Amino acid sequence: MSLQGSELASSLDGRAIETHGLTKRFGSLTAVDHIELSVRKGEIYGFLGPNGAGKSTAIRMLSTLLAPTSGTAKVDGYDVVRQANEVRKRIGLVSEKMIMYPRLTALENMMFFGSLYGMDRDKLRKRAEELIEMVKLTPFKDKLVGGFSSGMKQRVNVIRAILHDPAILFLDEPTTGLDPQSTQFVRDLVKELKQRGHTIVLTTHIMEEADELSDRVCIIDHAKIKAVETPQGLKDRYNTSSLLEVFLELTGRELRDSANERMPMRTPMGRM
Amino acid sequence: MLLFFFILFPLLLMGMFGYIYPQIPKSNPTTGSISTPYPNIPVSLIQMDDGKAAYAVAAQFIQISGQQGLFAVSESASYQAARDQLIQGNVKGIILIPEGFSDALAAGQPATVEVTVDETNPTLGSILQSEISAVFSIIGSSMSTQSIQRMAGDGVNPSFVMQPISVTGVPLISGVASSFQFLAPGFMALTVITGSLQGVATAIAREKEQGTMDGLLVSPIPHRSIIFGKVMAQTVRGLIQGFLILGLSMLVFGVQIYGSPIIMVVVMLLGTASFVGVGIIMTAIAPDQETAQMMTMILQFPMMFISGILFPIDQLPTWMQLIGKAMPLYYAADALRKVMILNATLTAIMPDVLILIIYTFLTMTAAIPLFERAMRR
Repeated sequence: MSLQGSELASSLDGRAIETHGLTKRFGSLTAVDHIELSVRKGEIYGFLGPNGAGKSTAIRMLSTLLAPTSGTAKVDGYDVVRQANEVRKRIGLVSEKMIMYPRLTALENMMFFGSLYGMDRDKLRKRAEELIEMVKLTPFKDKLVGGFSSGMKQRVNVIRAILHDPAILFLDEPTTGLDPQSTQFVRDLVKELKQRGHTIVLTTHIMEEADELSDRVCIIDHAKIKAVETPQGLKDRYNTSSLLEVFLELTGRELRDSANERMPMRTPMGRM
Repeated sequence: MLLFFFILFPLLLMGMFGYIYPQIPKSNPTTGSISTPYPNIPVSLIQMDDGKAAYAVAAQFIQISGQQGLFAVSESASYQAARDQLIQGNVKGIILIPEGFSDALAAGQPATVEVTVDETNPTLGSILQSEISAVFSIIGSSMSTQSIQRMAGDGVNPSFVMQPISVTGVPLISGVASSFQFLAPGFMALTVITGSLQGVATAIAREKEQGTMDGLLVSPIPHRSIIFGKVMAQTVRGLIQGFLILGLSMLVFGVQIYGSPIIMVVVMLLGTASFVGVGIIMTAIAPDQETAQMMTMILQFPMMFISGILFPIDQLPTWMQLIGKAMPLYYAADALRKVMILNATLTAIMPDVLILIIYTFLTMTAAIPLFERAMRR
């Protein structure tokens, strides 16, 4: 399937994602501290970091789900705060939670989410079916998604995110918890998507995944960026063949244990 | 499952309140008929007077009571004995024909009968009092009739002398207004409103937990569309629930609709709309789902009692009435009642309708920005 007119050349300076001093504070806690991100078009940008480093928060800001406390972010040339809707048209999100309705079928889920992007019904159906075929789920397209295995669900999750052919895709730990076959399938899918011209921001804990897939890797810790380089570049710099070693070198070997005295404030409508 | 509870609970409540609702016994002294909500109440009759008239009156009392199924009359030897019976609960009332009763009547003077009722049960007590009076009224009427015929002969109509003007009640509706008739619209309004209070908030919370809320927020759909979508879903749900209550009320309690179902739908829609905003606000400001549910409970229960759906609130102290009248439930129930029982037109219930519209406007105006802010924090 060829590219379908995604406007990769929409921004003037050629960056898929650009942030300046992007910061997020929750009360006294600074989750993201003045980070400067620069993601090139068409690259797979790996986002690595220990627990609580600020990765998810950063992704949520870039995907317009969270408003920054200060600083700016531009996704595909559009400001995430002031032009949020333009950003939303051009991004796809695969988050830790499966974004799909368990009581709808695979195809129904696709049709629903596709309709949110104003796609023409017939074209949408055709594209949905093609994508379902692409991830080899055609025999299950009319089955309720609630009964799918986690690997199947994740495949639906991913194709749901690319229905509207977004220029930029955010993948938050896409293979965590999946069986080996599904894991490999998803990784191959990510490479395929890059071939098709999508820019991908990939958050992961799995070093070999970051190593295998990323063009560049950004290591983030304690709300700040520690390094941005190609995996090989990092390995050379720290004189090791293991990305894990580099990571531990940069972020330390201490365990990141924490037990909140206070449960994180959580309204059903948003994490605070 | 939840729906089942939602329907069953209001019906149960309706049943409880409906059956204990104080009924006013209707009596007609001229025809001598009395209808009673409590048949065969045990009472004690004491005759302290030996005269012929006393015996005659006592006998008539027993006869009429038996005929109309009003009282189970037992006789006591003394007031003390009767009083003990009353305190024990074996009888609910004491009727004493005092000494001098017959003499008074013989002398052409009015006589008195003394009645004691169980004051620990005010509802029953007042019904008993009025029924006993009604029976003596009947006895008295026949005595008056005889007197008049004696005095004026056949040319005079005794009814004219005893009751020159009688008042006939002309009901607005053709059927009988039972207490369920009063309760049903209130419970329909209650179901619709509490549904809207919880329903939208729960739906949003569930989407959030499921993760699909992110999918909605990350799409180019404006956030207010998400709210409106949820509101519309709740509206349909609320209407179905409301009509289910109505249907079951009609089947189980014999409730009737005398007005336009279309106007009823309009009122129920407004009821939903008026409170959806409150539900959203509560969920947005509560730190977690459980607190939000607790807050809605705290609002729901008092509202149920002082909004006039279980009993008219005119008897409540003024400050309570003010609070009750500040709730949209009061107006929704009022409008629904007028439509269902009195066949009110839309114009007739316009004040209620306008208040509900204002409520909707105010709460939605507050809810939408709060939702926005909660989502983007």
